[in-house]
Parts: sequence; C-alpha cells; structure tokens
Amino acid sequence: MEDVRNIAKNGLNSLLKAGAYKAQCRSTLVDKHEMNLELSEITLLRTTFDTSVSLMAIRDHKKGSSSINKSDVASLEQAAQEVLAIADASAPDEAYDIAERQPPKEFSAGHDSPDLDKMHLRIREFLGEIESRYPQVRIMQSYVDFTHQKECFVNSNGVDFVSSNGVYHCVFVFSSKEGDKVSSFNYTGCSLRDLENRFLDSAFLDTLLTQSVEHIYAKPLQGKFVGDVIITPQCFQDVLYFLTESLSDSALIGGTSIYKDKLHSQVASPILTIHSRPVSDEICDGYFVTRDGYAAQNSTVIDDGILNTFFLSLYGSKKTGLKRSVNDGEAFVIEPGKTHFDDMVKSVEKGVLLTRFSGGTPADSGDFSGVAKNSYLIENGKISYPITEAMISGNMADLLMDVTAVSSERTDFGFSILPYVAASGVTVSGK
Amino acid sequence: MKNLDLTHYQDFFKTYTELRIQENRSTRISFVKGHNVENSRSSNSGVSARAYSRGSWGFASTPELNDDAVKSVIQSATQNALFLDARENKGRGPLPSVPWNSENDFSTKKPRLGQKDLFEFAKELDDHIERIYPELASRVVTINTLDMEKTLVTSDGSFSHSMIPRAYVLVLMSVIKDGEPIEFYRPYGGFGQFEDVLTSPDDLFDELEQQYQDLVKKSEGIYPDAGVATCVLDAELAGILAHEAIGHTVEADMVLGGSVAGDKIGKQVASPLITLVDFANSFDGKLCPVPVFVDDEGTKAEDAVIIEEGILKNYLHNKESAVSFGVSPKGNARAFQFSDEPLIRMRNTAILPGKDRLEDMIASIDDGYYLVKPGNGQADSTSEFMFAITLGYRIKDGKITKAIKDTTISGIAFDVLQTATMVSENTHWTSSGMCGKKQPIPVGMGGPAIKCKINIGGR
Repeated sequence: MEDVRNIAKNGLNSLLKAGAYKAQCRSTLVDKHEMNLELSEITLLRTTFDTSVSLMAIRDHKKGSSSINKSDVASLEQAAQEVLAIADASAPDEAYDIAERQPPKEFSAGHDSPDLDKMHLRIREFLGEIESRYPQVRIMQSYVDFTHQKECFVNSNGVDFVSSNGVYHCVFVFSSKEGDKVSSFNYTGCSLRDLENRFLDSAFLDTLLTQSVEHIYAKPLQGKFVGDVIITPQCFQDVLYFLTESLSDSALIGGTSIYKDKLHSQVASPILTIHSRPVSDEICDGYFVTRDGYAAQNSTVIDDGILNTFFLSLYGSKKTGLKRSVNDGEAFVIEPGKTHFDDMVKSVEKGVLLTRFSGGTPADSGDFSGVAKNSYLIENGKISYPITEAMISGNMADLLMDVTAVSSERTDFGFSILPYVAASGVTVSGK
Repeated sequence: MKNLDLTHYQDFFKTYTELRIQENRSTRISFVKGHNVENSRSSNSGVSARAYSRGSWGFASTPELNDDAVKSVIQSATQNALFLDARENKGRGPLPSVPWNSENDFSTKKPRLGQKDLFEFAKELDDHIERIYPELASRVVTINTLDMEKTLVTSDGSFSHSMIPRAYVLVLMSVIKDGEPIEFYRPYGGFGQFEDVLTSPDDLFDELEQQYQDLVKKSEGIYPDAGVATCVLDAELAGILAHEAIGHTVEADMVLGGSVAGDKIGKQVASPLITLVDFANSFDGKLCPVPVFVDDEGTKAEDAVIIEEGILKNYLHNKESAVSFGVSPKGNARAFQFSDEPLIRMRNTAILPGKDRLEDMIASIDDGYYLVKPGNGQADSTSEFMFAITLGYRIKDGKITKAIKDTTISGIAFDVLQTATMVSENTHWTSSGMCGKKQPIPVGMGGPAIKCKINIGGR
C-alpha cells in the first residue's frame, strides 16, 4: 500500500508547496486483466496498468482541480502548479471545502491477483454451455476482467484513507438468430469476488439467454393501452439511475430536482425500501471512501416509501443548506417483497414484463418514453408472447408511487441486489 | 505529448504488432445556476501494443512513456497473444495489410487560451443568460474540450501521427411550468481547438436567444399521441438516424453477432432516395467533424458506402472481419484511450442530401410531427432503433402548430427508410456526443431532413 500512499502524499505536498491553503489528493493504481469474447471464441487477452492522480486545491476560497496519469514527483509538481493557476483564475465560493479529519484507516477486500487459467476455464465452460443449450445465441463484445485497484485519499486536514479491492467483472452481450430471424440484443453484467460458480448462474444470465432465444420470434405489439409493468431486476437499474440523478448535487443546486422539497416525505409506494450499501459484505464491488474524502457508510435512501436522504457532497450540502450524504449512492440493495414473481404476473390483467428499456434520458420532471426491448405482453395473468416495436411512456416519479408489488426473489449483481418491481399506469403503444 | 520514435522498436515485434502512443487532454468548466461546480483539466497518456498470433490477440498498456515501458508492453502483448493462442489454437492466417503514412495535426495556429480565459468565457455566457433571461429556473453552462493525439507504428509498415481536437460549449436552460421542470439543452462548437471554434461569447447570443424561444414554446408543449405517425425529421436528426438506425447494424462485429443486416447485402433496404456513407475524413470538399486518415490498425482510411440508392452495399470492418468477409478494410478500427484496443467504429456517418425543400416537406403533411432536435439514441441487432427528441412540433394541415414535450421515436430502420418519400437539399453535421460500445468515442453524424413514418412515444 505504500506505493499508492506515497503518490498521494507527494501530490498533497506538491499542492501545499505550490501555495494551496487547503488541498486533497486521490491516487489510484489499477491493474486489469481482461479476456474478450466474440461468438464462440476468446479473442483477446488484455493486461493494462494505469495510474490516476486527482489533485484539488483551494486558495482564497477559489478552487482548481486536475487529473493526470503520471506519478513521478516532477509530474505531480507541474500538475500542482497548474491546479493553483486554475484556482487563481476561478471565482471565489465560500462553499468550497475539504473533508474534516477522520481517523486514518486501511480497507481491504478481494484477491490481489487473478487466476487467469481459471478465468479461461470458466469462459470456455460458459461458451460450451451456450453451444449445447442455446445454439441460437451469439455472444458479442463481451468480456470478463479482474481489476485490482489500490487507492489513497489524503487531504490537508489529515484525512488518510488507503483501500485495496480485487473484483472480477463480467459483461455479456448477446442476441439470437435462426435462419433470417434475429432477436433484439440484450446484455447483463455482474461483479464477482471469485470464480467459484459458473457464469450462467450469475446476473440473471440463464433467464436472459432463454428470453433471447424466445425473442427470435417476437411479434410486433398491436394497439395502445394503459396498463401494468413488471420491471425485471436488470431493468430496474434505469429507475435507480433517474433517482440518483434527481437526488444529486447538480439537480439540487440547480433547483430542478422534483424531490428538492420531498425529504422525509412519501416519494414511493410504502412497500418499497431502497438502501445504498457501499460498505456492506453483501456488495463485493462497493467503495470505501466518498468522492469528497469521507469514510463511506451505508444508508437507507427510501424507507417504506419515505425519502430519507439526498446524495449531496460536502459542496452540495453547503450550497443547499442540507445535510451531506454519508455516501455517494449506488451499491443499491432493495428489500425483498412478499410476492412471488409468478404471483406478480397472475395479478396483471394487461401489461408488460419490461426486460430492457431503450429510451431517452428521462426529463427532470421524470417523464420518460422509449422502447420495451426483449419484453413480453402479459394478458389475464399470463405471459402471453414476446413483443417487438412496443413503446412505453410514463413518469418515473409516478411509477415509484404506483409500485404495486416487490418480488421475494432478488438478483445479486455484485454491485447491487434487486428484485422485480411491479407498477401501474404505464402507457404502452405498438403498431 | 512526449515524443518517442516508435520506429526504433519495430525490431522487437515478434509477430503482427501495432504500437501506439496516445494522449487525451480535456478541459471541463461548468456553472450550475451561476455556481462554478467544476474547473478542471485532465491528461491521460501512455503506450500500448497489440499483437496477433494465429487468430488470437494480446494487448498491454502502461502510462509510463520511456524506452523500458515501450519494450515491456510489446513483450507483454506478445506473451498475451501466445497465452491465448496456446489455449485457443485457431490456426488462422495473416491479416490484410493496407499500410499508409500520414501526418495530420489540427492544433490551432492561434495563441493558446489559458484556463482563466475559458473560465471567463463560460462566466460571461452564464452572466448573459442570467441577465437576459431572468425567467429561467435554472441554467447550466459547460465548456468541454478534448484533444486526441496519437502516434502509431505497425509491423506491416504504417506510420501515422494525428491530433484531432473538438471543443464545445453546452448550454442547458430550464423553466418551471405548472410545478414541473422543463429543460432544453444545446451544444455549440465542433471540430477544432477552442480558439478556432468559439471565438467570443457574443457570437453565441443569437443562438442562445433561439434556444430560449424554443424552450418557451416547449414549456407550452403537448404530449404527442403515442403510435405511428408521418414525420419530418429535421437535418439535425438525420445524422443520428444514420448512426443508430443503420450504422451500428452494419458494423461487421454486429453482423457476425447476428445483426439482421447480415442477410441483406445487395438487397433493397431503403427508399431509392437514400444513400448512406461512412466518410473517412471529408465530405463535399470539407473536413468532417471527426476526420480519420489512418485508423488504429494502421489501415488507410477511405469512405465506406453503406447504402447506395436504397441498396445495402457494404459493412464496416477491421482487419480481422475484412478477412471473414473477403473484402478490404477501410479504416474503421478505432480506440478511445491509449489503454483501449481498436474496435470497429463509425467515423462520419451521413445520409446524402436530396432535392426537396424543408418547407414543402412540412406542407405535405396533414397530420404529423416536425421533429427538430435529438437527444441520446440506441441501436439494435434487429435494426430497431430509438432516439430521444428534445424539440419537436405537431403538424396540422401542412402547418407547424404546438410544440411537443420530450419524447422518443423508434422503428425498424430498414422499414422506416423504405417509407422515406422526401429528402431535403441541405446537410447538417454534428459531433457533440460520444458513441458508446465498450469504449466511448467521438463520431461525426450528418444528413438532410427526411419525411418518413415512425413510431412516436407519448400518451
């Protein structure tokens, strides 16, 4: 850990030497081993080593920052001079600040290095299973990597955190083809602490591959209706992305967040509880230190439908007069519900099982519209058929309020743990 | 960028190898409602090598830029290729070779502006917006620049050095209407360093006025009726149509992955009015927004005609896929960072202009939409694309009426382009976004206005 700490301390010292009143430095060393997959082949073995040093300085309430990927003292000193020049050229803001002193701490998780032979064997096993069980499936632009990251965050108030984490990442992209019929592509990804289990058991993959084959013969949806939507764990990440953006610095400082006056108010159905747990044992790909230099803590973002916290940084907190968040969000864990997925389907008179949403970025108001990809029509409590050319539209905030069921089953993606979520009042239109 | 003579290292190549030094330099200055939330610069540089052994690739990179680092990445990339080759044993032959040498540095010839100058530019723009448009609930002004400088040498004889810049000011305006925020975002800028693209904040005042007026109309907007409608897609949308609807579908890795375009070479896939080209570096005698002269596999970049008068002609290739399809690569293999391997990417994808006038196209629609400004988009192996519409209008009896709220349009590209009945005479280029496909990368997109039938999201 000394190498990454020395870089961060050299960066901090360079900033103070250049005249910073307050300064912080985050150094990161990333060692990555990646295997790429295309069709039935492993196409490329990629090993990359990278350094990242982020420097920030405040002088006379003016702030500057810079990032470089060099760690020698001369480069750090040159970057520090630039940071101070940037700060001097900026406008003063009393809200610029750095994290206060906290007890120094070292964090560590995961392996230090990959098992490349095992990675190769697991991928070969996966490609073999695809060939035998899903011969119509074609893998494209997919990869498995092992990323080992060492990081140090220091500031002039005495913050000194060092962390180390080793995680395997998998991203699988695929479509299916039979004759001249093609399914829409789909994808999933997960983070894994080790390679003890086959990939097919991870990240909803087996289900998504089955659906991919079924979608070779998807039919265009006809007509238009307002109905229910059951959002798969994979797809619910899009809703969480909207929520994160709406609760963040930019939306709250700009005053455009629809949740700006909703702290401790009902923003979702009482059956929905969402945690952000970056330092939980159940999340293998979280983070230990926030972007502004605090030891990250777990939080409950929405508790029985009540908004408990924003995702405000130290700066955002000072600009809005609201409390700083104890984490940067993400690492979402949604409490399981009491309804089995099969029963969720049975309760839908007419609706859509939404597996992938391909749509425009939701407006600040929460309005969204897009294509329901890899999805199914639900009629009279049964999954009817795979659909294509179906658009859905609604409002994200309304959708959260209109959640009618949360499944008892959840999918562990390594970076989040999510259930199926059902909601009402979504407009669905076809040809 | 630190200058190492890469040709000295060719003796260390044991197999087909690409060796690249690259630096990406960026600046970002952002004001949210007058608050300076970002004021930073970044530089990311290093060296990478990619080696090929009988169908298996090895890649390695490091941020260090010295003699030992270069030798080390060549050795690691070669070892990685051999590691895979020993296990995969594909036994494939050599790759095609279209070597080329080029030098293309588009650095400004003007004196460089400092961070302070850029900060003041953004501040002046923000102050102007605050002063002239006090009705706005919020505003975001962001300066975003990116310089990509690369030096490449390959074992089959290519050498290139390029510095491709782009500079943008991104402005988002918001109003509150009936308690709900309505926003409208516009990028201003394009190819070139900041000094060559954005000379004075005053130059943008007219466009900001137009942006504000569009936002006001949009705040009074209605939801479109969900379903299939006859639309005029403005020239600003044609580029994203070319990129998302067709371009991704004809990337050879997508084709090998099962894209519906795989069975359509030589077939009528669009109206005869449609000709679509992925331009390497210039169109109509002018440089495109993202000019590519030699790609990151060292291949000479040439235009790739994808659709000619409605007939699908070609896919986009790297060296390896070109072997699979028995054609010559045209320089579509591109990497974003020094630590990225080249992927099959578009460069400047555009539909060629037609002969119609925009006014006539709008006047020809009894009930439909004029869709003006795009947001994000996505492609699919089925050619079912979507992209967001951030500004559009209802057309009634041949006339533009009410603005519409943000929406999304979608369709099966090869079906939608069969419905194209009018194509305008003007061409518009854009390049402000990033195309995402494992790595992000700048791309150019262009084209004319098109009248067609398309599925529109709404209520």
